[in-house]
Amino acid sequence: MPYRNSIGVVVLAAVFVTAVADARAHDEAKYPDWYGQWLRTGGIQWDPSKPIGRGQQAPLTPEYQAIFEASLADQTAGGVGNDARYSCFPVGMPRLMSVIFPMEFIFSPKITYVLFENNMPRRIYTDGRSWPKDPEPTFAGYSIGKWIDEDGDSRFDVLEVETRYMKGPRTFEGTGLPLHKDNQTVVKEKFYLDRSNADILHDEITTIDHALTRPWTVTKNFRRERSPSWLENDCSEDNHHIAIGKENYFLSADGYLMPAKKGQAPPDLRYFRQSLR
Amino acid sequence: MRSPIGSIALAAAMIFAATSTQAFDETKYPDWSGQWRRPAGVGNQWDTSKPPRQGRAPLTAEYQAIYEANLKDQAAGGQGTDPTYTCIPDGMPRAMNVIFPMEIVIQPNITHIMIEYLSMLRRIHTDGRDWPENAEPSFMGYSIGKWVDEDRRGRYDVLEIETRNLKGPRAFDASGIPLHADNRTIVKERIYLDKADPDILHDEVTTIDNALTRPWTVTKNYHRVRKAVWVEAICAEGNQHVRIGKENYMLSADGYLMPAKKDQAPPDLRYFKQTRK
Repeated sequence: MPYRNSIGVVVLAAVFVTAVADARAHDEAKYPDWYGQWLRTGGIQWDPSKPIGRGQQAPLTPEYQAIFEASLADQTAGGVGNDARYSCFPVGMPRLMSVIFPMEFIFSPKITYVLFENNMPRRIYTDGRSWPKDPEPTFAGYSIGKWIDEDGDSRFDVLEVETRYMKGPRTFEGTGLPLHKDNQTVVKEKFYLDRSNADILHDEITTIDHALTRPWTVTKNFRRERSPSWLENDCSEDNHHIAIGKENYFLSADGYLMPAKKGQAPPDLRYFRQSLR
Repeated sequence: MRSPIGSIALAAAMIFAATSTQAFDETKYPDWSGQWRRPAGVGNQWDTSKPPRQGRAPLTAEYQAIYEANLKDQAAGGQGTDPTYTCIPDGMPRAMNVIFPMEIVIQPNITHIMIEYLSMLRRIHTDGRDWPENAEPSFMGYSIGKWVDEDRRGRYDVLEIETRNLKGPRAFDASGIPLHADNRTIVKERIYLDKADPDILHDEVTTIDNALTRPWTVTKNYHRVRKAVWVEAICAEGNQHVRIGKENYMLSADGYLMPAKKDQAPPDLRYFKQTRK
C-alpha cells in the first residue's frame, strides 16, 4: 500500500525536542485550550457532509461495495448487517470519532487522552516513540501523535495523529459501511480549533484501508460545551439485541425472546432437556 | 454517618480557583504515573486481606439473607446478586478492585481514574465544587476530592475522595456481597503512595451503605508498572452469558443456547411463529 507514509521519521526527529520538554514541568501555555466537553455537530453518519448509507458515496472496492449492499439488504430485512455494535462491541477507529456521545481531551507532555462517554479512551502518544513491535491489536488501535505550532505563535495549535494496529469487526457507521477484514487500516488525523470560533474543533480524518480504492478524507466538526455534565452511556445496560450463534434476536418489552426479522426461526434448543413451557 | 467533605472542599475552593488560572505545576502533585495493577496473587474479592468468600461483611440481617440466597443461587449455576455478567459496569466501590489495570491522570481541577474495562472512568473533581443538585446517578457516581499535603513537604501526598449519587445494581465483588437497593451508598477514599515503596499505591476505602451495620473499611494495594502496555478488556467480546427476561443462559462453544443451571427450562418462544429445529 504505497500511500501508507508513516509519520515515524517526523516523530523520530521530534524525539530530541520532546526529550528536553519532558524534563520540565508540564507547561499548559504551550498547548491549545481544548478544555471542556466536545459534542458532534452532525448526524451519526461517517461523512457528515453527506447522507448516511449509500449517500456517503464511499470509495469502496467492488468486493466491499457488494458486502455493503448485502449489509443494507440485511438491515432492511430487520438484521444488523455488518454492524457489530448491536452486541456492544466497541466501534473502534475511525468510527470512534463520530463521537455519538460526548468526548473530552486531556493533555500531558507525553500522552494526549481522548475520553468518550461510551467507549474506552484513546491514548495518543506524543513522546516521540516509534511504532511498537507486534502490539496486541485493539479496536481503538495504537496512536502516535505530534504537536505542531502551525501559525508560529509558540503555542501548539495542531495535533497530527496516526493510528494503526486495529482489530475488527469495525465499520464506518451503523449502516455497516465496511472496513477490510484484514484490519490493516491506517487512520491519519489532524485536529485543530476553528480560526474564527474557538468553540469549534475540527478533525480531518483520512482512512487508508484495503476496502477502499483510495484514501478517504472526511472532516468532523465538534462544538464545545464549557460547563459540561457528564453521563455514563453503557451499551449493555439496556441492550435489547441478543446474539445467539450467528443470529440476532430481540428481547421484547415483556422480557421474551422475539424474532428480529420476519419469518426468523427460533434458536435451536438442542441443549435443553425440557420441553417448551 | 453521612458527613460530607463538601465543607472542606468549599474551603479549598479559593486555593484552586487561583491555581487553575496558572500553568499546571506538576511538582505540587505526587507522581502516580504509569499503570497500576492488583498485586500478583491477589484475587478479586472486596476485602483482599481475607480469602475469597471467607470474609465477613458487616451486613444487616436482611442483606445477609439476600447474600446467602445469592450464594445458593451461584452454587446452582446462577449469577446471584452479581449483575456484571451482563457487562454492565462494576460501579463504585467495586471498580477499585481494579480487575484490569488502572491509570491515574492528575490535573489541577480534576483527577481522572481510567480503568481498562467497560469504559469505567472516574472523574474526581478537586476544584472545590459542591455537590451538584439533581445530577443523574451513575454506576461510578459523582466524586469530589481534596489534595492533602499530609507530611508538610510542600507537595500533595494524599487524595481524599468522597463519592455519592450512585445507581445500581452493584455488588462488592463477584460473590455477590450486596449493596442496598436504595443506592444511597457513600464511598470515602484515601489514596496515597507507600512511604517505603513508591511503586505501591494504597487506597483506604470506606463504604457507608444501608445494607451494612457500620462503615466498612478495606485497604486496596496496587503495584506500579512504569512501562505500561495497555490492552482493551472488552466484556462483550467473549461474554457467553445470555440474559432473557430474568433468566441467565449460556452460549455453548458451538453457538447454541444452553442452560446455565441444572434442569433450567428453555426460554419461552411465544413470539416465534415457526417451530423449533
